[in-house]
Amino acid sequence: MTSIAPTADVRDVASPAQAARVIYDDTTPMRFMAASVLWGIVGMLVGVVVALQLAWAPANVHATLSFGRLRPLHTNAVIFAFVGNMIFAGIYHSSQRLLKARTASDVLSKIHFWGWQLVIVSAVVTLPLGLTQGKEYAELEWPIDIAIALVWVVFAINFFWTIARRNEKHLYVAIWFYIATIVTVAILHIVNSLAIPVIGGTLKSYSVYGGAQDALVQWWYGHNAVAFFLTTPVLGIMYYYLPKAAGRPVYSYRLSIIHFWALIFVYIWAGPHHLLNTALPDWAQTLGMIFSLMLWAPSWGGMLNGLLTLRGGWSKVREDPVLKFFAAGVTFYGMATFEGPLLSIKSVSGLAHYTDWIIGHVHSGALGWNGFMAAGMFYFLVPRLAGRPLHSRRLADLHFWIGTFGILLYMVAMWVSGVSQGMMWRATNPDGSLMYPTFVETLIAIRPMYWMRLLGGSLYLLGMVLMGYNLVRTGLTAKVVETEVSVVPLARTPEVPWRDVVFSKPIVLTVVVLGVAGVGMASNAFASPLFLIVAFVIGLFGVLAIQHARRSGGPPFHRILEGRALLFTVLSGLAVLAGGVAEIVPALVVKPVEAVDAKPYRALELEGRDVFIAEGCYTCHSQMIRPMRFETVRYGDPSTLAESVFDHPFQWGSKRTGPDLAREGGKYPDLWHYRHLVDPRAITQGSNMPPYAHLSDARLDLERTGDKMHALSKVGVPYTDGDIRGAQEDARAQGHAIASELAKEGAHVEPDTQMVAVIAYLQRLGKKTEPGTRPADGVSMKEPSAEENAR
Amino acid sequence: MKSPSTPESSESVDRVIHEVDGIQEYDNKLPNWWLYTLYGAIAFAACYWYWFETARLGASPVEAYQAEMDRAAADQAMALTVGDATPEALAALAKDPNATALGKQVFVSTCAACHRADGGGSVGPNLTDEFWLHGSAPERIYRTIASGVPDKGMPAWQPQLGALKTQAVTAYVLGLVGTNVSGGKAPQGEREPISAR
Repeated sequence: MTSIAPTADVRDVASPAQAARVIYDDTTPMRFMAASVLWGIVGMLVGVVVALQLAWAPANVHATLSFGRLRPLHTNAVIFAFVGNMIFAGIYHSSQRLLKARTASDVLSKIHFWGWQLVIVSAVVTLPLGLTQGKEYAELEWPIDIAIALVWVVFAINFFWTIARRNEKHLYVAIWFYIATIVTVAILHIVNSLAIPVIGGTLKSYSVYGGAQDALVQWWYGHNAVAFFLTTPVLGIMYYYLPKAAGRPVYSYRLSIIHFWALIFVYIWAGPHHLLNTALPDWAQTLGMIFSLMLWAPSWGGMLNGLLTLRGGWSKVREDPVLKFFAAGVTFYGMATFEGPLLSIKSVSGLAHYTDWIIGHVHSGALGWNGFMAAGMFYFLVPRLAGRPLHSRRLADLHFWIGTFGILLYMVAMWVSGVSQGMMWRATNPDGSLMYPTFVETLIAIRPMYWMRLLGGSLYLLGMVLMGYNLVRTGLTAKVVETEVSVVPLARTPEVPWRDVVFSKPIVLTVVVLGVAGVGMASNAFASPLFLIVAFVIGLFGVLAIQHARRSGGPPFHRILEGRALLFTVLSGLAVLAGGVAEIVPALVVKPVEAVDAKPYRALELEGRDVFIAEGCYTCHSQMIRPMRFETVRYGDPSTLAESVFDHPFQWGSKRTGPDLAREGGKYPDLWHYRHLVDPRAITQGSNMPPYAHLSDARLDLERTGDKMHALSKVGVPYTDGDIRGAQEDARAQGHAIASELAKEGAHVEPDTQMVAVIAYLQRLGKKTEPGTRPADGVSMKEPSAEENAR
Repeated sequence: MKSPSTPESSESVDRVIHEVDGIQEYDNKLPNWWLYTLYGAIAFAACYWYWFETARLGASPVEAYQAEMDRAAADQAMALTVGDATPEALAALAKDPNATALGKQVFVSTCAACHRADGGGSVGPNLTDEFWLHGSAPERIYRTIASGVPDKGMPAWQPQLGALKTQAVTAYVLGLVGTNVSGGKAPQGEREPISAR
């Protein structure tokens, strides 16, 4: 056993006869850390590039490097490559020590590491090529989705196998969070990524969900990717490394219990807060809002346990960069988890949704919480694993201050920009007309903030580079110094029967109270208060009874549960599933009634839609007009569920860097769209949209259109066999009609290009049409009638 | 879960109860303010759900929108803040420098994208020649701007701009007629000489 590793712990009770030697696998965590640092720098560099593109459109230098394609690369790289590798490093390192066992299989660890890097590399290749499913934070196409699922299963097997071989009976709170992470991320990823591939050797696929269903599934996933990929594993890491680095005991075990269960149960319900004031049914919106508010205290429970653990150790925080990063990271977590519930209030969301405020919010979490917790963990771990002190503490301090200043610049810029633009969108004159009728006015007003954000982000990136240098000099890429400990194998002791645990008072009480309260929420106005009061009374007396019983002795219930890994996993899985099932199942079985009127896209429009998705247009353009007067004056009537029912995936969007497109069809002539796509600034001075002139040269593969319609027909879009067979002919006819009209105005573009298809799609938005109608009747055709000419 | 604070149950502060891998755990009581936040949020959630979803006492976003639109319609009927767009009123506005200045401002920010800043036309027709697709009379121009020609890609602007700005921009367009700027779009529609108005 090496004397250098302060994390090593010898059980002093171990008598030589019983003791077994364990050598921890520290090569795997070190590898994951190196990957995290590398991908973190890459992902944030892409972030700086997209920030520049927003401030200064000429930075969109090439079609593959335009904002719409790089933004998904930025989000995927930071979430899944930077934070992903960081949490794997922390989990592999801390779990071995908390379980007193070497990771079960070195082979699985290697498959996990290299498999994950392969997934990342394939993302780096496919996203700039426009190969995307068009679902935010889940853009990767189906073969990569399958690879992710397989790698995750390898990770899960390795982790639970290690738990099964543990030499420590009770699972520490960090392990609880890791368990919840592994179980939930698997469920989220698989359910959300279900898609039907287009036959014929393409990577293209369509989500099995459409319209509001897809919206609900997507944000159930998207929000809980934040919860279970960016939050719970990092909380586990906090619970291990923060008390280690501070040398202080964790403040409160019972707070750990309560905030863990409350957090994982409540978080999963909160997804619909991304869809407030949309066409999503009102009950789902309200659930999303109230569960987000109830999430405030459980989130702060984690922050409190972190900060209060530092009580009495603040002088150390001033000196040690590791603790500085942890203290600031936990504080940023507290800020972000206060801002989150605030933004989930319907009226606040009415102002903030689609604006930069949301961008600022996620970055206070990503840069402040994830980035700083990662930095703290790296600065703590790399010296210990490499067996030498940190190369430069002053450089780490510099990183801390540059990073903090960068985050503050970033957040302030986004607050100012988000609130300003939100206020400008809703500013109306007394007669109800818009004070800023042209969208671009509101963009020009916030342009200075985009430069400030670029500065903040660049400073943060500089800090990351300093960290990378510092860690490499410390030994990030060097061979690790192995830690060997002696452990006492677990003695077989009689267990409490699992039925007694499952049907113990706290669990039965929780299920009964939640069940009665749930019935109360679903019942009518007179019965509802009765049920809620009954739930409250049962809960109150139940808690008192349990506390009375506990005082009379016996091991506390949760301590028993902590010793039962399988039961713990099953129960946490059930706690997580409750919210998902309650929200998503009703949406999947109930089809919106109005959907009978809706008509699917014509062949060319469908091709145009695929271009729209591939170019990442949804990253800046929403297709969801909210029921607010200032919004309907600008964009037209509120969007309905029926209008997006055949959209696989839905394209409601989450951000308006440009205007909403839900009713774009027929608003401007084809020529306007053509000129605007070729050079946005020729039409709209001050626009920051990337140019799409290259779409005029990109030919469509119309042989494939029928296959695409066939795939969509499998997931419920009512294309007939005739539609599918005639797809190519219909697409050519519609394309020809648009191209010949453009030619009359002096714009020459071939009819089977992506340019013509995307114009057909844009002109279709907000319109209803019969599939397969002749071009002359098509909505995108605007033959001036004789009567109009005569006017 | 709030525990009644009896001396024997409230574990003395900062007592280590577990230890694993050198990490010790206290079992301190939950701060009261944290508990009140939790309880308060749960109570609020129950009340909010009851008010808006169970009893439907509060307006949903769609209902609130309907009410706002109804109010707006009522207000519009009550108050005519600007005069009617009669041919005489529009002709008078065209001579009012305040009106044409406002009109020019609106034109540059809103109309120039399609009609060019000088009115010479690009996507939309040339407004400075004597050829008209939808009529050159002041009230015809006003109607084209206010209600739009949706089939040809001309949006209805009155809902966005309001009556005042719509009339002002009409006044400004009336002043463009016959300026025949250079490099303008080729004539479209019927010839309607200025003298004929």
